[in-house]
Amino acid sequence: MPRAGRMDVNQFAAGTTVREIKDYKTEGWTLKGAQTLNIYYEIDNATIEDLIPVAARPSIPAYGIFNVVHFPESPAGPFTIAEVRIGCRAGVRPRGFTLRSYVSTEAAADELANRWGYPSVVADVYLRAFHDRVVGRVKADGKTILDMEMIDRDFIAGNDIQYVSNMHLARSKEDGKLVIVQVDPEWTFIKAERGRPHIISVDSDAWGAGDRLRADYPISASYTITDMTISPIRYILDPNQDAFRGTTKLAA
Amino acid sequence: MKFGIFYEISVPRPWTAESEKKVFDNCLEQVALADELGFDSVWCVEHHFLEEYSHASAPEIFLTACAMKTKKMRVGHGIIVCVPEFNHPIKIAERTATLDIISGGRLEVGTGRSATWNELGGFRANPDETKKTWDEFVRCLPKMWTQEYFGYQGRSWSMPVRAIIPKPYQKPHPPMWVAVTSPGTEIDAAERGLGALGITFGSVKEQEDKVKQYRKVIANCDPVGSFVNDRISTANFLYCHEDTETGNKTGRRLLGTFNFLASQLVAAREAYPSKSYPSLGLLPTLRREASGPGDEAGVPEGIAIGDPERVLRACKRWESVGVDRINFLLNAIETVPQEQVLNSLRTFAKHVMPHFQDASTQAAAAGGGR
Repeated sequence: MPRAGRMDVNQFAAGTTVREIKDYKTEGWTLKGAQTLNIYYEIDNATIEDLIPVAARPSIPAYGIFNVVHFPESPAGPFTIAEVRIGCRAGVRPRGFTLRSYVSTEAAADELANRWGYPSVVADVYLRAFHDRVVGRVKADGKTILDMEMIDRDFIAGNDIQYVSNMHLARSKEDGKLVIVQVDPEWTFIKAERGRPHIISVDSDAWGAGDRLRADYPISASYTITDMTISPIRYILDPNQDAFRGTTKLAA
Repeated sequence: MKFGIFYEISVPRPWTAESEKKVFDNCLEQVALADELGFDSVWCVEHHFLEEYSHASAPEIFLTACAMKTKKMRVGHGIIVCVPEFNHPIKIAERTATLDIISGGRLEVGTGRSATWNELGGFRANPDETKKTWDEFVRCLPKMWTQEYFGYQGRSWSMPVRAIIPKPYQKPHPPMWVAVTSPGTEIDAAERGLGALGITFGSVKEQEDKVKQYRKVIANCDPVGSFVNDRISTANFLYCHEDTETGNKTGRRLLGTFNFLASQLVAAREAYPSKSYPSLGLLPTLRREASGPGDEAGVPEGIAIGDPERVLRACKRWESVGVDRINFLLNAIETVPQEQVLNSLRTFAKHVMPHFQDASTQAAAAGGGR
């Protein structure tokens, strides 16, 4: 039998940040000049099923997506956000299941939660591009919980990059049930670069993974500047059913 | 039109010594029957680390067994990965020549470069390099097969002058092919005089355009080998049953299972940004085509599943756009019981093959169609 997720979402929700979502009729946001450092690492294959809900299936091999994005302007003002996502499949589609995210301002955390039920908490999130590397770092409660860099920047074309869409857990305000919200952002590439990925440290527990998240083997790193549209919510999924059965389409 | 079968060798979990053996035994039993029925060829992929989806990591061994089980069928690599971390070019030349001898000159050599991070990452191959090494390998192989002594100073590999032995049984050498999945590879194939091994399933229109381009370009090609192989092959699923509902239902299960398995793998482009992989490649293409818009039975247009009439229609459609051969995938993680797979082959040979001139001749010569 093919492998599938087995996360106990209630247990996961109790130990992490799951935000309430009021309804699913959110307007999209177009955010100009987003700077994204995106690093892919293979992660521990043996524990990936514990890090994704039943609705998802693990990718083979298991990989994590570590990104830090700076938005110089938004309706909530400038902010920087960091996410750790687990590469998986919803039905047959590649997706990244967000374990947790940290954002640099309270206003952005609230807006993201109100609009998309996005699970972020405030922390010190840092993104900086140097000539030899691009550095992303997150500090929460005085502790570095993610430290990563892309080394030896090299130009590529934007269409060489294939970003994976997000899925995250939220709690429906109407009935209190946990749902998976799928947002399919769109990107217009202004600049794209590639380099060597290097994750210096990642604090598994701080990302809601207990001791199960281990960045094992580097895959790739990219740094882009894009105009990014965070779309209206496209699908919601029942986290406890496979995506073929438990998906509700909300937008085209 | 000729018909072949091809293997991913898909093994369901849990993997035990017996379950692995059973799948290989089933495949070989199918191959032996297909030979009797008049199928033209058997092909085997080369994949590594693709859990459940494909356990065909040593295709030269499997194809050797196929050659020993059959009398007439050609045996084809579909494909050999032409990336030095996977296969050294000298070993490719030696292994293929040996298999050609053992099979009595029945070998077809498909070439390609891998399209998954599973494999490229596993062998620590650089995705940016694979198209380049493939090109270098396919220019070297015919010389390694035909020259008494061969030496080479190249970009991705070099060797002093040596006798690469044995030489193939077929003279001057076996036909060469390339897997056509990424956009533009059909042009690469045509420019080099290589057969187009279209590992794609259902989109006839998309293939039609590629066929036209291929035919146009190959007419003025500069062949890498000693001769031009201008054949076009495509891949398909096969489940043929005299009862329409059974044919459609079982066939759709085969499609769905394949689709489900393939989707868990990580295409190179999904994880590694590179010009070398401009599309998501083979697996998503297969998924899209296997789950594309269907007819009234819910079966995508060019897919050869259903009753003999429908399967015939699908094959005729491929013939009409200039495809020379269809290679069929018969199973995925044993979702179709072995006896049903064998009966599907028999039904196809009896009701569909006779409608195609080449295939009919093959079937008659082999005593097929019974």
